[in-house]
Amino acid sequence: MDLDNYELDADVYDEMFQANGSPRAHYQGVHRALTDTSAADLADIQDQVTGSFSSEGISFKVYGDEEGDERIIPVDCLPRVLSGGEWRELEAGLTQRLMALNLFLADVYGAARIVEDGVIPVDVVRGCPQYRIEMRGFQAPHGVWVAICGTDLVRTNEGFKVLEDNLRVPSGVAYMLANRKAVKASFRRLYRSSRVQDIEHYGRVLLTTLQELAPEGTSDPAIAVLTPGVYNSAFYEHMFLAREIGAELVEGRDLLVDDGVVYMRTTAGLRRVDVVYRRVDDDFLDPVVFREDSLLGIPGIMHAYKQGNVTLANAPGTGVADDKSVYAYVPDMIRYYLAEKPIIANVETYLCRNPDGLEYTLDNLQNLVVKRVGESGGYGMLIGPHASPAERAAYAEQVRANPADFISQPVLALSRAPCLIDGRIEPRHVDLRPFVLSGLETRIVPGAFCRVALRRGSLVVNSSQGGGGKDLWVLEN
Amino acid sequence: MLSRSAEGLYWLGRYLERAQHLSRLLRIQTEALVDRPVTEIHFGWLRLYGCLNRQPPVGSLELLAQDDYSLADSYTLADDLTFEPTNPDSVWSGVAAARENARHVRHCLSAEMWTCLNRSYLRIQGLTIQDIWASSPERFYAETVAEIDTFAGVTAATMYRDEGWRFLNLGRSIERVQLSSALLDAQIAAANVTQDVSEAAWTSLLRLYHALEAYDRTFSLQVEPRQVLDLLATDARLPDSLSRSLDMLSAELAATAPSPSQQAAGAAQRLIGRMSALVNFAWLDRDDPRSLLQRLNAHGRELHDLVTETYFQYPVHDAPVR
Repeated sequence: MDLDNYELDADVYDEMFQANGSPRAHYQGVHRALTDTSAADLADIQDQVTGSFSSEGISFKVYGDEEGDERIIPVDCLPRVLSGGEWRELEAGLTQRLMALNLFLADVYGAARIVEDGVIPVDVVRGCPQYRIEMRGFQAPHGVWVAICGTDLVRTNEGFKVLEDNLRVPSGVAYMLANRKAVKASFRRLYRSSRVQDIEHYGRVLLTTLQELAPEGTSDPAIAVLTPGVYNSAFYEHMFLAREIGAELVEGRDLLVDDGVVYMRTTAGLRRVDVVYRRVDDDFLDPVVFREDSLLGIPGIMHAYKQGNVTLANAPGTGVADDKSVYAYVPDMIRYYLAEKPIIANVETYLCRNPDGLEYTLDNLQNLVVKRVGESGGYGMLIGPHASPAERAAYAEQVRANPADFISQPVLALSRAPCLIDGRIEPRHVDLRPFVLSGLETRIVPGAFCRVALRRGSLVVNSSQGGGGKDLWVLEN
Repeated sequence: MLSRSAEGLYWLGRYLERAQHLSRLLRIQTEALVDRPVTEIHFGWLRLYGCLNRQPPVGSLELLAQDDYSLADSYTLADDLTFEPTNPDSVWSGVAAARENARHVRHCLSAEMWTCLNRSYLRIQGLTIQDIWASSPERFYAETVAEIDTFAGVTAATMYRDEGWRFLNLGRSIERVQLSSALLDAQIAAANVTQDVSEAAWTSLLRLYHALEAYDRTFSLQVEPRQVLDLLATDARLPDSLSRSLDMLSAELAATAPSPSQQAAGAAQRLIGRMSALVNFAWLDRDDPRSLLQRLNAHGRELHDLVTETYFQYPVHDAPVR
């Protein structure tokens, strides 16, 4: 297929091409395959990939969407490629970052040295709605508060940056595996000749991690995946993971707590549960401790957890560490706890709670992305350059009214990767979310859920807002 | 196994059996539209609505008595029984409910089972009565029957024989007993109200149960209603006979792992024993078969309640800990 009209922009890092228009070394295999494959064959491949998602029923839900309760996530068949060297650097950076974040969590729910020492202002931590006062004094098993982390990374001409740490119930790993399965089956020869690192052992790694975190003295821990239910947007993934690790897939109503021990209701009677890989938010875990009106929760599970009779992964209260304001201090945490230089940079962030940050944000609204601290999934944010003056003015009012609720960042020129769009190969903006698992050691499978903004020019990769996925290939060297 | 997962598999079994049973009936009924007399078509609809215990759309059955309307209104009735989403008994509803249950318990199914079922669901999702009526509706029903048979085959070939397998089969066997007892009852009822019921009305019943050849071999080429009923109720060699369905039910329940309450499990076994006695002994006394079939059906409902209370929704306060 003809790549002559593939558009390059000096301000945007292109994953496939160098600035001079020749393909990057690790992209040569894919580049050649794209050049050699006809448009009709590529269209067939795209159909196969989409078809396999549909017959497997790999779906997600969009909240507030009345029609079509299940949607198939759009998937682009062209793989994005990273070299082995690029990956090793990311791996080191992600490991470093999660270690610091786990130390931070142990610290802020313990002695709070980092606050005492003036590295992070006390109100940034305590003012955060995700700070769970109930967790103070708790010591997570092996110091692991976050067992499963999904870090959003972006690339610009300056290199990789962390956009967001997802430390509560990160999702997307099932898509990482499904994308690989579908794309591998369609690009058979290219896949074999490219020497791509395996990711299929993710389930085993997850299982090992959860087993390592089981309460002391459990030899063969019973593990359950806790889902809010089939109406949750990520239900497919919950089901998929339960199956991968051979765990029961439970909802709150399947569990009960008696005398500080968690049980599930089985056909043969009650069975003790040792580890809960929970995919419900803190608020809905335990109506006794958190939200009283929650119908999803398990009364008493927090009590069982604090007694050490059950492990919850991730621990409640981890949201304080992926808060958008606290995010700005993660490089400081790395220096403070590990005495190391951060390997992967943060995106420059202005906290509107600080007078300087507020002033800068309001003065430069047309060049900034402004985000609400409590929102996720691309909701409630302002993309300055794409907004009308009236929208900016209205948003500025909201920022002035509650400055602590907002942060701002420069509009990033996210890197672009080739995608098959309406029968042509065109660049689209991408990010990636690798999954970092922390048990007795930190483990990362060499892959990621790569998200792509399929709308031309769009920078929003969220699947709820017109984003899709693609496979990410990490090469062996 | 988690109670809620077991319950999902149980219902998956029930809904699929239901969808298949109705498809088989509709296949025979739409075949009859081609060449059978109006009285027979009328009989077929009475039997169908009778066994579902459902009222046909207003006026449609009365109109059918006139030749001119028989085809036009068969369209309305077939739509009501096939694609009507508000009809919980329609083929569409059965397949959709089976697939929804499967989605809840997908981690307990083999990948092949899910793919097979999801494809059937996607196929029927995309169709309307117009699509199937234009050419050959009986082909659509035959394909639906074959797809559900394929699912059963894929299940037999790929599913791990754990408790999930037991509960899936338990659901299928209970549903089968309920459907057969309701259908035989409806057949007798429809035969009682229709004048000049032809032999074909009974032949079609035999065909529905894949029993025509077995009947010819056992009895004669002359179709006798009483002998047809005997064969379908008591011949344990016939895959869907009442007697065989009850044997399967009993075996599945006996093989199911220990229940939280031995007492309740014993009650379920005794109930199946009573049901078998109705078919294997009381049946031979040749008293009123309709009342016997209705008792069997009522016992089936009791059995469903017992299974639900024993394995799925038992009270937790005195449940044993394993």
